Amino acid sequence: MSGGGQYRYLFSPLRLGPVTVPNRIVFSAHLTNYAEDGMPSEQHAAYYEARAAGGAGLIITEEHSVHPTDWPYEKMIHAFHPEVVPGYKRITEAVHRHGVPIFAQINHNGGQASSMYTRLPVWAPSPVPDPLFREVPKAVDTREIAEIVEGYATVAARCVEGGFDGIELQCSHSSIVRGFLSRATNQRTDAYGGSLENRTRILHEIVAAVREAIGRNIALGVRLCGDELIDDGITLDETVEVARAVEARGQVDYLNTSIGVATASLFMIEASMHIPPEYAMFIPSALRKAVDLPVVGVGRFKDPLQAEKALAEGHADLIGVVRGQIADPDFAAKARSGHAHEIRLCLSCNQECVGRMGLNRWLGCIENPRTGREAVLPPLVRVGKPRDVLVVGAGPAGLQAAITAAAKGHRVTVHERDDEPGGQVRFAASVPNRAELGDIVRNQTHECERLGVDLKYGQEVTPELVAALAPDVVVVATGSVPSRPWWAPPPGEGAFPIVDVLDVLRGDAAPSGDVVVYDELGFHQATSVAELLADRGCQVEIVTNGMVVGQDLGITLDQENFWIRAHAKGIRQTVDTIVNGVDEHGLVTMHHPTGTVTSRKPDWVVLAVPSSPADQLYRDLLAAGVEVHRVGDCVAPRRAHAAVIDGRRVGAAL
Amino acid sequence: MKLLEPVELGPVTAPNRLLFGPHVTNLGRRRALTDRHTAYYERRMAGGCGVVVVEEAAVHPSDWSYEHSPLAANCGAGWSAVAEAAARHGSVALAALGHTGGQGSSAYSQRELWAPSGVPEVNSREVPKVMEQADIDAVVTGFGEAAELAVRSGLHGVEVNAGQHSLVRQFLSGLTNLRGDDYGADKLRFAREVLTTVRAAIGPGKVLGLRLSCDELAPWAGLTPESAAEVAAVLAEHVDHLVVVAGSIFSVQATRPDTHVPAGFNLDLVASIRTAVDGRAAVVAQGSIVDVAMAEQALADGRCDLVEMTRAQVADAALARKAAADPTAIRPCILCNQTCQVRDARNPVVTCVVDPRSGHETLDPDTEAGGAAHPSDVWVVGGGVTGLEAARVLAARGHLVRLTERSPALGGVLRVAAAADGRAPLARIADWLESECRRLGVDLQTGTEASPEQVEAASAAGTRIVLATGGHDLRPRCEVADDAVVVPVARVLEAVAAGDAHGALPAGPVLVDDPIGGPVGVAIAETLAHAGRHVELATPDVIAGQLLSRTGDLAPANVRLAQAGVVVHKRVVLQRVDAEGAHLHDRYTGERTVVPCAAVVDAGHRVPDDSLWAATGSRHARAGDAIAPRTVHEAVLEARRAALAVEGIGPDPGHGTTALAGATTASPATSAGSH
Repeated sequence: MSGGGQYRYLFSPLRLGPVTVPNRIVFSAHLTNYAEDGMPSEQHAAYYEARAAGGAGLIITEEHSVHPTDWPYEKMIHAFHPEVVPGYKRITEAVHRHGVPIFAQINHNGGQASSMYTRLPVWAPSPVPDPLFREVPKAVDTREIAEIVEGYATVAARCVEGGFDGIELQCSHSSIVRGFLSRATNQRTDAYGGSLENRTRILHEIVAAVREAIGRNIALGVRLCGDELIDDGITLDETVEVARAVEARGQVDYLNTSIGVATASLFMIEASMHIPPEYAMFIPSALRKAVDLPVVGVGRFKDPLQAEKALAEGHADLIGVVRGQIADPDFAAKARSGHAHEIRLCLSCNQECVGRMGLNRWLGCIENPRTGREAVLPPLVRVGKPRDVLVVGAGPAGLQAAITAAAKGHRVTVHERDDEPGGQVRFAASVPNRAELGDIVRNQTHECERLGVDLKYGQEVTPELVAALAPDVVVVATGSVPSRPWWAPPPGEGAFPIVDVLDVLRGDAAPSGDVVVYDELGFHQATSVAELLADRGCQVEIVTNGMVVGQDLGITLDQENFWIRAHAKGIRQTVDTIVNGVDEHGLVTMHHPTGTVTSRKPDWVVLAVPSSPADQLYRDLLAAGVEVHRVGDCVAPRRAHAAVIDGRRVGAAL
Repeated sequence: MKLLEPVELGPVTAPNRLLFGPHVTNLGRRRALTDRHTAYYERRMAGGCGVVVVEEAAVHPSDWSYEHSPLAANCGAGWSAVAEAAARHGSVALAALGHTGGQGSSAYSQRELWAPSGVPEVNSREVPKVMEQADIDAVVTGFGEAAELAVRSGLHGVEVNAGQHSLVRQFLSGLTNLRGDDYGADKLRFAREVLTTVRAAIGPGKVLGLRLSCDELAPWAGLTPESAAEVAAVLAEHVDHLVVVAGSIFSVQATRPDTHVPAGFNLDLVASIRTAVDGRAAVVAQGSIVDVAMAEQALADGRCDLVEMTRAQVADAALARKAAADPTAIRPCILCNQTCQVRDARNPVVTCVVDPRSGHETLDPDTEAGGAAHPSDVWVVGGGVTGLEAARVLAARGHLVRLTERSPALGGVLRVAAAADGRAPLARIADWLESECRRLGVDLQTGTEASPEQVEAASAAGTRIVLATGGHDLRPRCEVADDAVVVPVARVLEAVAAGDAHGALPAGPVLVDDPIGGPVGVAIAETLAHAGRHVELATPDVIAGQLLSRTGDLAPANVRLAQAGVVVHKRVVLQRVDAEGAHLHDRYTGERTVVPCAAVVDAGHRVPDDSLWAATGSRHARAGDAIAPRTVHEAVLEARRAALAVEGIGPDPGHGTTALAGATTASPATSAGSH
């Protein structure tokens, strides 16, 4: 054991073939969209280096394409171009400066791709279109299989030249190897189809070719899917067989695991807070019983004790902590030094990491404004002349401004009108299944306390109070207030109450009976309150002007599970429908594609509509000539990540 | 007025009345224009286009609406390169300048959006910041600085965007300008400030144009043809030309709709605006104008002074030149929007299904340049789009080409697809290819089967073979009881094409099973519903026609389906068809629904017909659906590659991967300047 205090296993080294990792915390492979025109970027190096500096035991990069037929998304690393090597060296040198090994994940996505970028036919075992991309692929012939195998070997050698300590073959959730392994996509009748042995043939060929290319001093791992969660997909029994066969050939040093198919069941791969932690643990656990190779377990590990427990119970030899280290690059170092309580815990909200990936944007983090910007945003530098900073409002924007200003050495006081911090996040997190969102408030207030920010509660800040406090500068983070649509009568009038989501979550309104939730936001507000009220026994219908209820739950991978829960709770979903007004018959709605008007008389209506900035204090202070900045919803009501980014930017500029 | 006669844009004379309008290309890098932009525009200039308006540049850093959006401050070198190209060809080149305001994106700038009022955009639903006076001043100044840079870079002038995706329009419109200050009381104030600032920056000797939405299609608060006429009359005082467009925050897709909206849909609007403008500015017609005849007629009728034909010149860069020589030679735009509409998160590069070299000018060989040093005898098997395009290119390059087609007609599955409601323009491609092949002397033989023996004999005799044998239907993926009717969509459309509006289906309700979500499933559902059938549609997605988001037809398609009474079953897979009907299974909840129906139309994928290829040693060149059934775009792209491979230029698309042009990276047009 090499330190780590209460962690008996987490901080013990482990041999993966020729490579010894200093601890069991793996920053395992995940897409970042940091590549620029197919090349690894400075941002890649800065991103991985931050996690190495933060004490990760092993870093595995995002996938690199081994063949020009594989370019499913714009910002993939084109390892089939030799020009990647300088970018590789920049990454590996940065990570090695911190004594951390780094492996390259190499891959061909097979049929889980489109020809949009390649302008070439998609290659796959059989002409079975992928459920996401929906393009019929070209069934590869044996010459093309040989070309792919050669591509893996060539790229593996290139990775070694670029300074990587190991190679991981992604054969799990989006890969031509997976395509061959799975009966769902392999309909071949030749030596590569049919029996499991045949379906595994290409994997063995790739492993042999790669090992030949990299020699014995480089680690080689294989990542396998334990359950594809689709019809005719790979099952755990088959994966155990494949793992045994891989081990038996003696070429591979470790196994990594995953669950689901990226283009069919992504919501189970990058599970949000609605899926229980450790939900995929049965996979490494089964493999570890079957083989002697070290096995990596993954699946919503967000704190070090949880990882330690999984190791102690023998489910895995290493633990992949991806989002946990996206949120806090110092995850491992903080745990090891006995400061686990200071870890900026991942919320598993998926908003800015997973959510941005699907939209072809760089990977970020809702609560860490430097994630994805490591090469762009310099670390904070302490100022020579500290100033007295007054922050008004302790929501995510105000707290982030306070953290940033305090980290720069300013003397910071936060005044919050309520008795607790968190702003609207506090209420959003009060809903079943959404509690982890509240960790952002915990994380921010811990950080404020550590930095000596003075947090004061229960007092409304007025221009007079500001004048009395006489700070050098004020940051207004007063959030937003619910707004009432033109058609809604004033509160208390009308045949049935019409209230805001916030009224319900705060406990100021308790709808019962038949409830219509009217949604113009398309995110968690409406679906959360609908579930809450359904749980309380209400008959709930969500009506939205959009084409889909909760459209943006799609980007955070919350949509599928919402559908399942909504079905179970009897929540009805009515789309393409606007409210035209309220009359004696009730709520008058119109299905806008057809113009069909309907009236219904609910017992309650709950509104999830855009709110209005609470910007009066900002305007008053501006008029009074005070140096004042504003951040978050009081600029424009947006989501939490925008509040954090605003807070960081303004705090850093003070 | 004639299309190919010169026209005055204020102080500048353009060689003709044809305009290539500004549009998103995704050819930019690091917010600058690239050499790919220059090549893209120069190809249109060389083709005779009179006025080219470059992709819009954002005038201020607060606007970063899509990742590859150019920022005016970075565009000097790129604009210079375009200006030099324009000088080489005698064209007029303008910079489009704009700010997308509340219709932008915060994803790249990581800043709040700026807009006149806090009205969220319909799709992103992001609430913008209400612009303060300093913000307004900064944007107005940005317009001036951008315009100054554009003309200093050598361009003939600028065009300010008050059309789709524009802050200027958001100020003009009651939909988006709810301000209580003077910018709300006088909704034209911001536009006037922008135009006077730009005019001051460029001086009287340069062109100042305005692109103006003259119908926001939201009469409760938006610009209407009547109110826009007043706006246009006032703003025309400041400008040399005015492009009349339609659309608003609520109807983004209405500005350049696909083939479901009739060509030339703005021509009445533009005529009324031209009357209101009364000669103060040259008026440009826009709106799905793809035929030279329509353009000429609009000019002859005095509806407009110039005609924007953007997509038509994406499809045929030499439109103007051919219009002068032989208009029938113009490769038609079919208004499909499938690959030229690239305001899409995935950042596809602008291109064209019928001319895939568009947008790839610096990468793809020009099949029309040069010819074969050693002409070959070539036999193209298959007379669909792939075979016809291969034959056309081969014949144009001097080869002796024979094309055989098994069926009595040329055009393959494209003609079948064109039989569906709203898709008739697709057939124009088949018509054009057939006519070009005839003009070029291709020996076209229909009703002619090609046997493996014949192919091998021809090959042995030195004839080069190109196999474009297309695809065939797949057996149903679900269980089908003996007496149940499941018909592939192609068979239904063939019957429609033959004149049976009911597609030869048995009487009774129909379920369309659409596992793809592209144009075909929606179109067959519409077609049968219009024929009076009760139609239900099953989709694995949460929206019908999910893949139509790219073309802008997603929302319109769902509206059309709803209005046609088509019942949509979402998130389902078809498991079984029997006497009870179609058994649907919810993908997530497992809930089962039985839809009583007389027939199921299978709108799923097809598979390659590679039997001839396999029977002839798997060695002859293949292209298009014979490799994998996809769209017209891949058919044309691969047909060209197969044709060039006959001369040894690159491998044929069915073999090898050395012609991997798509992997080449773009570089900024500049060697000067930093970003």
